[in-house]
Amino acid sequence: MSNQTQPVVDVRGLVKRFGAFRALDGLDLTVRRGEVHGFLGPNGAGKSTTIRVLLGLLRADGGEVALLGGDPWRDVVELHRRLAYVPGDVSLWPGLTGGQAIDLLGKLRGGLDERRREHLLERFELDPTKRGRQYSKGNRQKVALVAALSSDVELLLLDEPTSGLDPLMEAVFTEEIAAEKTKGRTVLLSSHILSEVETLADRVSIIREGRVVQTGTLEELRSQSRVTVTALLGRRPDPGSALLDGPDTRLDGDRYTAAVEPDEVNAIMAELVRHDMSALTVTPASLEDLFLRHYDDAAVS
Amino acid sequence: MSSFTGVRPLLKVSLHQDARNIGPWVVLISVLSVSSILAYAWVFPDPEDRLALSTRLSANPALALVFGPPRDLMTSDGFNSWRAGVLGAFFAALMAIFIVVRNSRAHEDSGQAELLASGVLGRQARLTVAVLMATVASVALGVVSFVATVSVGGAALPTLLLSSTYAASGLMFAGVAAVAVQLGSDARAANSLAVAALGILYVARGYVDSSGAPEWAAWLTPIGWLQETRPATQNDPWPLLLALGLAVGLVGVAFALHARRDYGMGLIPPRPGPARGTGANIWWLSFRLNRGSLVSWLVAFAGLGVVFGYLATSIGEVVADDPGIARLLAAGVVAEADLEFAFLMTVLQLVGIIAAVFGVGVVMRMYAEETDYRAEPLLAGAVRRRTYLASNAVIAFLAPGVAMLVGGSVIGLVAASVKDTISAVDVAFQAVATVPAVWTLVALALAAVGAHPAKRVVGWLGVVATFGLTILGPTFDLPDWALDISPLRHVPPVVLPDPDWSGLGWVSLVTLFLVLVAFAGFRRRDVG
Repeated sequence: MSNQTQPVVDVRGLVKRFGAFRALDGLDLTVRRGEVHGFLGPNGAGKSTTIRVLLGLLRADGGEVALLGGDPWRDVVELHRRLAYVPGDVSLWPGLTGGQAIDLLGKLRGGLDERRREHLLERFELDPTKRGRQYSKGNRQKVALVAALSSDVELLLLDEPTSGLDPLMEAVFTEEIAAEKTKGRTVLLSSHILSEVETLADRVSIIREGRVVQTGTLEELRSQSRVTVTALLGRRPDPGSALLDGPDTRLDGDRYTAAVEPDEVNAIMAELVRHDMSALTVTPASLEDLFLRHYDDAAVS
Repeated sequence: MSSFTGVRPLLKVSLHQDARNIGPWVVLISVLSVSSILAYAWVFPDPEDRLALSTRLSANPALALVFGPPRDLMTSDGFNSWRAGVLGAFFAALMAIFIVVRNSRAHEDSGQAELLASGVLGRQARLTVAVLMATVASVALGVVSFVATVSVGGAALPTLLLSSTYAASGLMFAGVAAVAVQLGSDARAANSLAVAALGILYVARGYVDSSGAPEWAAWLTPIGWLQETRPATQNDPWPLLLALGLAVGLVGVAFALHARRDYGMGLIPPRPGPARGTGANIWWLSFRLNRGSLVSWLVAFAGLGVVFGYLATSIGEVVADDPGIARLLAAGVVAEADLEFAFLMTVLQLVGIIAAVFGVGVVMRMYAEETDYRAEPLLAGAVRRRTYLASNAVIAFLAPGVAMLVGGSVIGLVAASVKDTISAVDVAFQAVATVPAVWTLVALALAAVGAHPAKRVVGWLGVVATFGLTILGPTFDLPDWALDISPLRHVPPVVLPDPDWSGLGWVSLVTLFLVLVAFAGFRRRDVG
């Protein structure tokens, strides 16, 4: 059994090739026990591939992968008893009902909690008597969510679990995951929905082209990214002023805007005071800015 | 905007995309015809050889069951129209069915059609395109097989007629598939419906051809119409019109049904099912997923058993009509019981091959589940890969075994109830003895899907090769080593006083090896 301080997911230098294409190119990822870990990145960056390696569906071509203290390729049954998985695109058996699929998936994991099952069916407003082929995308997603959340496991691997859910159901999902977190479960949450990540995630990792480019708590990420400063200036700066130094500064009439590194905020304040500023705002980067910057870079490169 | 707006651009794109799937069918069916012209001159160079062939075929009506009655085996065209006639028509029909289902219903299941239907596309356009694609493929098949066969020495008129029967068969069964697509609730159901219709008509045709039924009975099935063109003997094109009429009628029915049907649904509305999956586990699942096809296949085997059982009892009279055989019988060189048992052996080999198709189908189904991402959530549960593979392998091996037992028992019971020279127990035992050979073919498919699914077509090639070697090989005087490749050849006749089981022992070792390859390979490869 893994001890409490050991990370639940510990991936170092993971490489996965599909033919000549390197889907994962030296990926490092650590998920600590009890945390909700946001896993973000543009489409095709390698999020699902990483999760499939963690599930032992794909075999790593290089690097070290430890899951719950075991080897995901070798210790399949022991590990899978302790985790549940929700894919982003749930494909159900056309002839089986949702209820049958939930029970099947639960049984394969070693049983599910009846009270949780009932509770979740009610919360997600899911009719378990419909056949797989009759469900809409969102309802198929709910089937997988109910199956995963009603089992008593240590780790939840969620790959874009809310795709197709309506906003109301998304809110239910957020509440349920928050409840799981208080029970000490660990969650790896791959998602594009920033509000979801912002509400739930303790730490996030951003993946791009098969590598994790940034990882940390949201605070850490924010503190590493630039702060936007806006102010109205009573006195216009001289053309050579330090205020106009830097690529992301702008002056529209008396309205001044700049994006600066966190450690430059003090210096710029001093300058602004000298220019008789008013209506000052200092905004830390929003998650959205943060991600857009990473996503955008990916598009550029 | 008419119901057919958008047909032209969609047809162009679809043909371009599907050409890779259609091409092999056109080539293989044409090869069937080309090869019989080439092989005839090579294997039967002299009139004596041809006469001997004639006698051999008349002695075993089981071959008429598959190929139809030989009308004239003294010319290469006559031989071609026998060997590649209804069989070619059968494969042309399969090609057309798969094209229509793949391009209409399967796209609805995958959601691709939704994207198209939302575009500027008439209500009937998608079905029209699917039917037109099958038409193009059928006509292309006719042209290619005509040109290729004539170029190796086939006479123009008989070859033209023979090639036209391929095209006509493709057209008729495109119509059948177009209707089936409206009735079934998904692509799989539509495929099964259309292929079942083809199978029933083919077997009915076989029964008529090998039971000594009166002349008019040949007109009872559409495949019989095609035979009535009699390439190389009477060269009568008129029955083709009948086939064309049926094709047009069926497509008309399909359009009428299509106009009434909701997108993505069949005509039979789905009903709610159980809210709980009590007893659900991986073994239950593989049984549950195959339940529908198990039931229909077992019914089909019972049906085949009845047909073949009755045939077996009339074999004596049928072959006695042939003057050559009558002489042999009168001289006491062969006894009627020998002929009956030879017939039953061939029939059971045939049933074995059909059972192999069933088993290989179960294996391929498992792979389809994987590519549809339904194996992923299972393997994400506490399920070993070997358990998952085993849960499917058990069905793939047991199902054809049970099917053989059912088919063999019914043949035996029906035959024994009419003729006391046939023992029901012997026939059933012979059927069971065939099972290990069938398992080798299933194991080959399992090894391919388990270890290297990109090469899974090997599984079907094994079945086709076995069919060729077992049913046609002896007629072609193939050398023993070639015939020995077929696992069915190693099944001993159980009525012999001391049957030799060693061949089956070797065959089973091969099976075991292939199963080990499957499990070892599935453990190592990526899934999904």
